[in-house]
Amino acid sequence: MKTGVYFCKCGTNISDKIDAEKVRDSLAKKYPGIHFKTVDFICSEEGQGAVEKDLAENNIERVVISACTPREHENTFMRMLSRAGLNPYLMQMVNVREQIAWVTEEKDRATEKAGRSIRSAVNRVQLHEPLQKKEIDICPDALVIGAGPAGLKTALTIAGSGRKVILVEKSPVIGGMPVRYEELFPDMECGPCMLEPLMAEILHGQYAQNIELLTMAEVTEVIGSYGNFVASIKQKPRFADMHTCIGCAECIEPCPVSTKNPFNCNLNERKAISFPFAGALPNAPFIDEKLCVTLQGGQCKKCQEACPVENAIMFDDSEKVYERTIGAIIIAIGSDLYDCRKLPNLGYGKLGNIYTSKEFERFMASNGPTDGQIRTAAGTAPSSIAIVHCVGSLDANHKEYCSGICCQYAFKFNHMIEKEIPGTRVYHFYKELVVPGKDEFSLYHHARSNPNATFIRYADIQDLSVSGEGKSNVIQYKDISGKCGSVNADMLILCPAVIPAEESGKLGKVLETARDQFGFFQELHGRLDSAQSKIKGIYLAGTCQSPMDIQKAMNQGMAAAGYILSGLVVGRKLEIQPVNAVVNSERCSGCRVCIGACPYKAISFDTEKEKAIVNDVLCQGCGTCVAACPSAAIKGNHFTNEEILAEIAEVLR
Amino acid sequence: MTDNNNFEPKIIGFLCNWCSYAGADKAGTAQTPYPPNVNVIRVMCSGRIDPQFVLKSFEQGADGVIILACHPGDCHYKEGNFLAVQRYRLLLRMLEPFGIEKERCRFDFVSAGEGDKFVRLITEMVDTVRALGPMKIPAQFP
Repeated sequence: MKTGVYFCKCGTNISDKIDAEKVRDSLAKKYPGIHFKTVDFICSEEGQGAVEKDLAENNIERVVISACTPREHENTFMRMLSRAGLNPYLMQMVNVREQIAWVTEEKDRATEKAGRSIRSAVNRVQLHEPLQKKEIDICPDALVIGAGPAGLKTALTIAGSGRKVILVEKSPVIGGMPVRYEELFPDMECGPCMLEPLMAEILHGQYAQNIELLTMAEVTEVIGSYGNFVASIKQKPRFADMHTCIGCAECIEPCPVSTKNPFNCNLNERKAISFPFAGALPNAPFIDEKLCVTLQGGQCKKCQEACPVENAIMFDDSEKVYERTIGAIIIAIGSDLYDCRKLPNLGYGKLGNIYTSKEFERFMASNGPTDGQIRTAAGTAPSSIAIVHCVGSLDANHKEYCSGICCQYAFKFNHMIEKEIPGTRVYHFYKELVVPGKDEFSLYHHARSNPNATFIRYADIQDLSVSGEGKSNVIQYKDISGKCGSVNADMLILCPAVIPAEESGKLGKVLETARDQFGFFQELHGRLDSAQSKIKGIYLAGTCQSPMDIQKAMNQGMAAAGYILSGLVVGRKLEIQPVNAVVNSERCSGCRVCIGACPYKAISFDTEKEKAIVNDVLCQGCGTCVAACPSAAIKGNHFTNEEILAEIAEVLR
Repeated sequence: MTDNNNFEPKIIGFLCNWCSYAGADKAGTAQTPYPPNVNVIRVMCSGRIDPQFVLKSFEQGADGVIILACHPGDCHYKEGNFLAVQRYRLLLRMLEPFGIEKERCRFDFVSAGEGDKFVRLITEMVDTVRALGPMKIPAQFP
């Protein structure tokens, strides 16, 4: 096989330390007649042109480039080979600049080492195979799971590029948590006002025809991989047609059955047919099958009688299963709050007038259970409110991380309380105060300068103890300096740690997507790729990945969309790098060791043939399975055992 | 020890592309000199390093082998370095019965920024193997 060795002098960077003539002589001893050329700068346009010409003129079949680190110019030289009509994988680089010339003091020894390394590369390159990139057709559409801020933003961005988006939401309403909040930090923008334009775009905007919104739905199965997933989606019956319903709410009043309303944290009642809350979108009610008299076999249909539109209420609605092909999946299912009952010293669930921040948000919402009025259980305005920060956050006994958003909404509460009931005493019990960012300081300063606000820092949340005394609660505390005291609070607001959503475990299993030590979906890289999961083609947006505020969730949604728009391009096939693992099924014993070794879940098992199969799309070419296989049945392309052993053999000769 | 002063050991270094190989390049760009006794074999991930590569190296005359991986948690391929550590630990248990001192086979972590650490590890490795003297290829090598 005619092999050409191209020795880059790199100006004097290499040639000062390594004697090219001696290298040539040492090569010729082992490989008589080998084609050897020195070039001033191979990476230059001129240098590349000269090598290209030389390759063609001399019918070179294998190439060794002795130059700098392959981490710098391997791709450059691979393209050069392609231009010369050679398969780019028929080349081996020798890093004589960074790893020999620049680090070896004696010229003789540097030359000797370079010769040895080049000989070993020549020996290796004989075994190189002409590898081909594969191309597969892709589906550019996406499945977005969760219709909160992050999911909405992602869906809208992808739909805006003309692709189809299937937007799956488990509840009957879109907009996530912030749409239920009257005002949002840092600048007291009204939650529904901020999100409604976005939701209107999703439902009726320019690209709405590209978005298939499935509420009350969940993803039950996903098969396939990046570029070609098939998802099964199960949708519960809503019993109201989102398209014909005009949202007039005439059906609600006649309904004879009531229950607690979970959309208002069970703080008020709703009917069997209801809207989650006033203004909820999509603007159509849903019927609770278990409560509805008609659906339970009784005689009623009062809602249908009251409905001014024909066929808007559909008692014959049933569960549907959809199957959709998509190229990528975005998880945007949001998060939950830590159960405050796990801190019994705070009295939540036992004593009256103690609420989580989420419950308090509903109190303050004008479409909430108290129409936006802050009232104690007795129906009076509280004269003192204690806000407990860091409930379960930054706490080795509960959640070690800081939830990042609580201080900011606590200061928002301070502001809203002051506005709603001026003169109310507010106590902030906190472990740490966290207010980063260029906008967040304003609410902080406002709270700090409020003469009715008192800040008490504790070292450990166990140093707080809440007991009920008459209509008021008493908080006994020991502050960080060890000083003890107590305050009365007519109402307590607890700021619980942000935790993974309850369904993330189930969804993680369906998507085979890893979760971190806390249960949040695990990102590919905390800083470089926090919007990518560890599975190629599955992206993360919003608090399913980590506690974060709306700004970050929106940005992450955009980032996820960006990966999809640049990775799955309409009209372009997906290129699959050939440096990956290949199973020789004749040798495969079916032991499945490789499946456990693969960090990308790229290997599956054919139970019929009892053989392992590598998915080319998911394989990243690390070669971990190749080393793991006890039968040597997996070949690591471009890093085969034979190639590596040839390199070792010659280096030690 | 004095007998080995003129002995130049041949050492094979298995480096993963993303961290330790980049660390070696970093030593290069900083032009920090180190002994030229280690010949580097680049693999994409330390998880690719088959223990047989190490045994073959010894069989074919290597006086030492050094395996360098990404730091725990930094692996470009998520967890290949953990498998590499596990394999290294098992491998060490195989070396002694063959009469190969375990000091001849070293494992460590080098990040892309740790050019200095790379130089230190290589220098130490060369000193260690030089002190041990040439490999005596065991009779019952597989």
